[in-house]
Amino acid sequence: MKVKNLLLNIAPLIGLLILIAGYFVIGRINDINVAYGLKTIVNQSVVVAVVATGAVFIYTLGAFDISLGASTAVSALMAGIVYLKTESVGLMFLTAVCVAVLVSLLNSVLAGVFHLPVFVTTIAMLSVLNALALLLLNLGGTGSEIKVPQAAVKSLDTLWFKLLVLGAYFLFCFFLFDFTPIGRRQKFLGGNPLCAKLTGISLNRYSVIAFVICGLGVGLGAFLSIVYAPTLTRNTASSVGMDVIIAIVFGGMPVSGGARSRIYAAVIGAFSMSFLSQIMVMLNLNSGVGQMVKAAIFLLVVFIAAGERKMKTLPR
Amino acid sequence: MNRGRLSLGKRIFGTLAIPLIAFGIIFLVCAVRGVVLFETTRNWMAFFRATASVMLTTFALSINLNSGRFDFSIGSVALLSSVISSTLALWLDLPAGGMLLICILSGTVLGCISGGIYVISKLPPIIVSLGVTLLFEGAAFVLTDGYGVSFVTKAKLTGFPGVRNYLLVILVALAIMILIFDHTKFGYEYKALLSGQSVSVNMGIREIPNAIACYMIAGSLMGVVGFLSATNTGTIQMALNFGSIGVMFTAFLPMFIGGFIGRFSNDKLGYLLGGMIAAGISLMYAKLQMDSSVQQIVTALILVVFLIYLNNENKLVELRMLKARKTAKHRG
Repeated sequence: MKVKNLLLNIAPLIGLLILIAGYFVIGRINDINVAYGLKTIVNQSVVVAVVATGAVFIYTLGAFDISLGASTAVSALMAGIVYLKTESVGLMFLTAVCVAVLVSLLNSVLAGVFHLPVFVTTIAMLSVLNALALLLLNLGGTGSEIKVPQAAVKSLDTLWFKLLVLGAYFLFCFFLFDFTPIGRRQKFLGGNPLCAKLTGISLNRYSVIAFVICGLGVGLGAFLSIVYAPTLTRNTASSVGMDVIIAIVFGGMPVSGGARSRIYAAVIGAFSMSFLSQIMVMLNLNSGVGQMVKAAIFLLVVFIAAGERKMKTLPR
Repeated sequence: MNRGRLSLGKRIFGTLAIPLIAFGIIFLVCAVRGVVLFETTRNWMAFFRATASVMLTTFALSINLNSGRFDFSIGSVALLSSVISSTLALWLDLPAGGMLLICILSGTVLGCISGGIYVISKLPPIIVSLGVTLLFEGAAFVLTDGYGVSFVTKAKLTGFPGVRNYLLVILVALAIMILIFDHTKFGYEYKALLSGQSVSVNMGIREIPNAIACYMIAGSLMGVVGFLSATNTGTIQMALNFGSIGVMFTAFLPMFIGGFIGRFSNDKLGYLLGGMIAAGISLMYAKLQMDSSVQQIVTALILVVFLIYLNNENKLVELRMLKARKTAKHRG
């Protein structure tokens, strides 16, 4: 039983290792420059991995934030505007982080003070942020783009810098999640909110903490988005929102949160999805076929990782 | 709130208050800006098309969401069913009615696939819907080689839009939904499962067929949404990477409004009225030539304010009772 549980726990990691092996094997067979592909994978994964790592704190509570992609876009656009006004990369970084944390705080306050379901709050916030992104493009840019000069961020556009940011943020979250009462109490709240409340743990307090930590990740993700693609448009970070959900689930995180939540799920999931996408590109698959294969593998991996299901009723 | 306890007057007032207030504000804003909301036949057509689309999407979303099953895939069902039906309609030279029928059938089959994956895998519905969305979007892309479908010159198909046809769609869909969910064994079991899943299953209600049927009904409704959208423009644009989920977001405001109205009369009627409000707001935006970003912000704010009221109305009642008790004490 213990071995079976262990296998289920590490199933997403095994999945990632298989995908990495598959990537190198297919690369060798098709004589493709795998080193260049690896760079693309890191660039694709790092923003999603950073944002998703923070989002794990929200998911652990059994909540769900759909506005993370839009929040990343707005933070990046605001930061871009600040750079164009001040020409300071430091201020640009600070703006990205502060805006993202503020947006996250607003979400948690709306949910906490007005007793709104978090998911519904974030749906409304998604609309507001998408609209705000369009307004920012009109106000601070040409209407279709905000262009941060490539030279300003060129020195930061390296794999090492991106991996360093991801590593530092991951360690910060790992420490909070696994070695402090914050993580433990959040798992408790996610697993049994009523019991946690009766024990004196405040859902509102830990929701705010979760959203602030997640906001930090969104801010870092926004900054990394600017570093990778300094010309910001309405498509900036457009896929991040859904990619975050996919990454977290693909990495083995239960959407209901609770004790089985794992902080590393986000990183494993983000890299797995990128390796999978890159394999599809290497196999020269049509985008539609590629997406269908991705969907099938996603469902299969999650099915295997979810383990045995003995419940009498259907999950909700 | 027990509907039976309310007087007929209160029920009528509760049902019509929000729509009347909403349309009052819409007409007032238009009057202040010197705009007539329903100036031409095209305005009426746009209004009823939006009402039909939003109402059907709200039905489809609420069927599963009310049961705690969040379904991201409804937009992709609309997309894929419209691609399948338009391709077949062009191939077989079918009229709009034929295309509508295929849309409903393909939507039902796609819903069945979605529900089937859910009950077989026993994964949380939100996860299944993510996978299914990717699957259906990919399939639509493959079927059209990524180019989408265009039948702008096919008068047989683009001739469908019209006030009478949209009204027919609205009334038939409403009648069928009320019939299925309020007057059949399936509907009673659906409501039982909705309010007490474990108890209902222990009592012998078969949850799996009920869940699959819910997905099939939602799929057929989204098939009609896909049909309305396709025949309106004569084109179907492709969407990948969750590009199809936007459709779902149009249904949240009408769904909450409908849920509120449902306390006084019937939630299905509420969804229709909610759809009409959403369509009225959209038409107002168009007539006032409001920027799309402002539109999104205003709509989101309306949703938030309405939800704040819904989630805190018991506190308002408590406050009123407290005030009344204090006044009585003073008098005493």
